[in-house]
Parts: sequence; structure tokens; C-alpha cells
Amino acid sequence: MIRHDLTLAYELPPGWLSPWIDGLTKGKAVARKCAACGRVSFVPQRVCDCGSDKGTWVELSGRVKILRRTSGTEGEHCLAQFEGADIACVARLRNFAPGITHGHLVPSAKDVPMLILEPASDEGSN
Amino acid sequence: MVSVSGAALTPFCKSKDGSAFRDWAGSAFKQALAISTLDRCDIDMLVLASESDFFTLQLNPVSVIADDLGLAGCSTLRVEGGGASGQLAVHAGVRAILSGTARHVAVIGVDPSASQLSASAVKALYSFSFDAWSEGFAGVSATTLYALSVQGFMERLQLSKSHLAAVTIQNRENACANPNAHLGRRHTVQEIDDCTLIAAPYRRLHCSPLSDGAAAIILSKSGALPATRKTAPVILGIGASSDRVHLGARPEPDRFTAKSTAMKRACKSAGIEPKDIGFAEVYDAYAGAQLQAIEALGLSENIGQDLDAGEFGPTGRCPINLSGGLMGQGAPAGAIGVAQTANCALFLEGRNQSGLQPANPPRYALADTHGGICTIAAVTVLAQADAL
Repeated sequence: MIRHDLTLAYELPPGWLSPWIDGLTKGKAVARKCAACGRVSFVPQRVCDCGSDKGTWVELSGRVKILRRTSGTEGEHCLAQFEGADIACVARLRNFAPGITHGHLVPSAKDVPMLILEPASDEGSN
Repeated sequence: MVSVSGAALTPFCKSKDGSAFRDWAGSAFKQALAISTLDRCDIDMLVLASESDFFTLQLNPVSVIADDLGLAGCSTLRVEGGGASGQLAVHAGVRAILSGTARHVAVIGVDPSASQLSASAVKALYSFSFDAWSEGFAGVSATTLYALSVQGFMERLQLSKSHLAAVTIQNRENACANPNAHLGRRHTVQEIDDCTLIAAPYRRLHCSPLSDGAAAIILSKSGALPATRKTAPVILGIGASSDRVHLGARPEPDRFTAKSTAMKRACKSAGIEPKDIGFAEVYDAYAGAQLQAIEALGLSENIGQDLDAGEFGPTGRCPINLSGGLMGQGAPAGAIGVAQTANCALFLEGRNQSGLQPANPPRYALADTHGGICTIAAVTVLAQADAL
């Protein structure tokens, strides 16, 4: 056998997604609002479905509705829609008891963009 | 017109004989070339499908494969489109012939399962098949995304876990007749119900394996076929499409819309309709994904009813995955699409080694592949040589 150990440490520049990634690390939902049609995308889309690539960054409330959820050995994840966004996104769930339908974005690890949700304060946690 | 003058697959498995991806590519190519009755000096172009350099630890793999196969001097192309890599490579070969830049093209798909890496490392690498920045780094796996997609599909079509189990049972049963298959098994519903829950509703036995292996086809300009290969099947139509990379950005996350578009394009170029397809090799990365594909491809108007009636079984109206599919035959990522096309060609010509080789093969076959969560879709319509 040919043995080869390889350790890679990436530092990826966030580019145009910088406001979104910076927001995730702080627990802020920063979305892209299309300048042409007003559609709000979170995860941000560089080119809107209307075809425009002009837009502005807007901060959402961070509140989110869970549309679907799945759990198992791969962890707890969901398809969710942020308040004020026109599309859904996939996120990781933390401390979500069965039946909880709303949550909010929490800060991810420093410099690592992660969509992590915890239950909304008025729904409690397990 | 483009003909499949040769086709071959290595066994798909977890290789334990000390061989490597370069050996598998060479073996599949040699067998396919022998069927074509061409010589390696007849090959104008080599197209290689390989999904990830992390698994082979070989950047620019087509350069070493071309050298290993004695094809130095040919034009070369490496194609990568996730799970669709192999079918996109077939399309690239077809286009090269139709453009007049090549008469004979070798298309090879190969990938190792990278079983020497830790399971967590392989899972992390595959999660980068989606948007690494929004999903991969968050640990969102392929199984998670497919699970979230299939939930709505099952609700909409009123399908149950018994329908998912039926796919696993059929594909693994089909694989029992395939001497090259990785997972020929006879599962029970109870066994499936009891196995580990990966991401609801998907359990371990609803998932396809990662395999080692290679597949190769030789594409030839139909007018340049050797006299011995006039019965070679033809590629009648190809179609490809793509979708928004984020599942949540799609209007209907439970539908494989890119696949529907790819199928429409393939059928239009082939001059046929989905109902004309006699059998299909379908991308069954997960049990439910096969059912979502059947809907997107237009192969059934009532999937639950047709599944219950055995219409997709070996003796049904439209057999699906006679090879065993990804779930039974196995899934070396870059080889999948080439293997599907190779299997279709071999079945059409009556020379597939599977015990499920139809005595009277249908006129038309379909190879369906996708990458991501059906983010990139590629389908190919094949036909008997006399179908023109």
C-alpha cells in the first residue's frame, strides 16, 4: 500500500458573501434584497430569479418557521423559512423538542458559516 | 448518429485485491475496446469522469489514465458534475462525434470509494457536493437533504415507508442476478424497518453504498462502425439541465425539476415520448430518489399503484434498474453514469451478463443520472440499431 497523510488548513476568502457570513458568526440573519423586484433571499442569491444581479443587504429579525425537519444519526436538520425571506433554507437544529415550530438564529463558531437554530424563547426547549 | 460500439464494467465492490482506480479504468477500457473490435489507435478522444481528486489523490487524472491506456496523442477531457459526472462525460463524447471532431471516443468513469479515509472525512467531503459555504460547513449531509426533499414528495403522492422498502428490496434483488454487483441481497421489510435511522425517513438500507469500480464505453460515429458492429445500439437523444443549488430556493423542493427538463430535451432530440421507454437505469442514490426520478422522467402517472403492481420489476411494463442500480450494483461516483449507459447498451444488444437480460429487449432505454440534490441532471436515450 502507498501511505500518505495530508493535512489541509483552508482560509477561504468569503468574497461577495462576506456580509452574510459575518452575520452568521454574530447570530444575525443578513439577507439579499433584489433591487429590481424586492425579493429577499436567505441564503443570499447573487442573481435573483427575476434576472437582476443588483441588490442590497438587509438584516432580518432572525425568527424562523420550521417547514420540515429530519433527525437521525446525521443530526437534527430542517427546511426553514426566515421571517422576511421569500425562500427557505436548510439549517441545523439545536435543542429542538418535537412539535416546536419556530426558532431563531444563533451565532455560529467564529469564522465558520453555520446556520444553527435554537427554539424561540416563547416555545421553550427540551 | 452515434453508436455505442463497446461497453464494459468492472465489478463494483470494496476492492480488497490491491488494485487501484487506474487498474479498474484500464480493465473496463480493454473490455469495451474488445467488444468494439476497434484498435486503440482508432480512438480519437478520451473523456474521463471522476468526481473528486480527494478520493484518488490524483489531480489531472485523465493525463495518467490516457498514458496508462496507451492513448497519448488523443485529445483528452476530464468531466466533473458530482454524481452526474459519468453521464455528462457520455454527453461530451456524443457532442465530440456530432461536431465532427472525433470518430471514436472512449468514455471512462472511475472512482474509488476512498474507504481508507475515515467515514467522517468521506461524509464531510461529500457534503461539499452541495453549497459548501452554507450547507457543507454546517454538516448538512446528502442524506439530510434527500430526506427533507422526499418528505414532501411522499406526502403529495401519499406514499409510505412500504414504498421505500419496495425499492430497496427490488433493486437489491435485481443485483443478485448481476455478477458485477456490490450488494446483491434479499432484504425483508422488517429488516429495513429495524435498521439504523440516518435522517428520517431514510434508514441505512434506503441508502446506496460507496463502491470501487469503473465503467467504459466506446462511442463511434455510426457511419464509421466496423462491419462487425452494425448491430451496436445508438444514442438517440441526450438532455441536461440544472436547478438552484439550494433546496430551499426551489419553488417545489420535493420535485426533481432539472430532471424533468433534461428528460424533455432528451426526448425531443430522440423524437420519442417517455411512454416509449422500455426499461431505465435510474439514479437511485436513495430509495425515495428513485421514485422522485420516476415522476420527473414521466415514466408513471401513478407511482404508488405501479410500484405495488410490479410495473418497475424485471417483468413489468418498464423495468427500473435491472442492474440493481446504485443501491444494488453499487456507486463509484464518477463511474455511475457511464455504467448506466453501458448497462443499457448491453441490455439492448442482448449481451448483458445479468441474469435479468430480457430475451427480447425493448426498442428504447433510458439512462438517468444527477448530481447534488438533482441540481445537475443528465439523461440519455438509447435505442436498438434498427430503431432509426
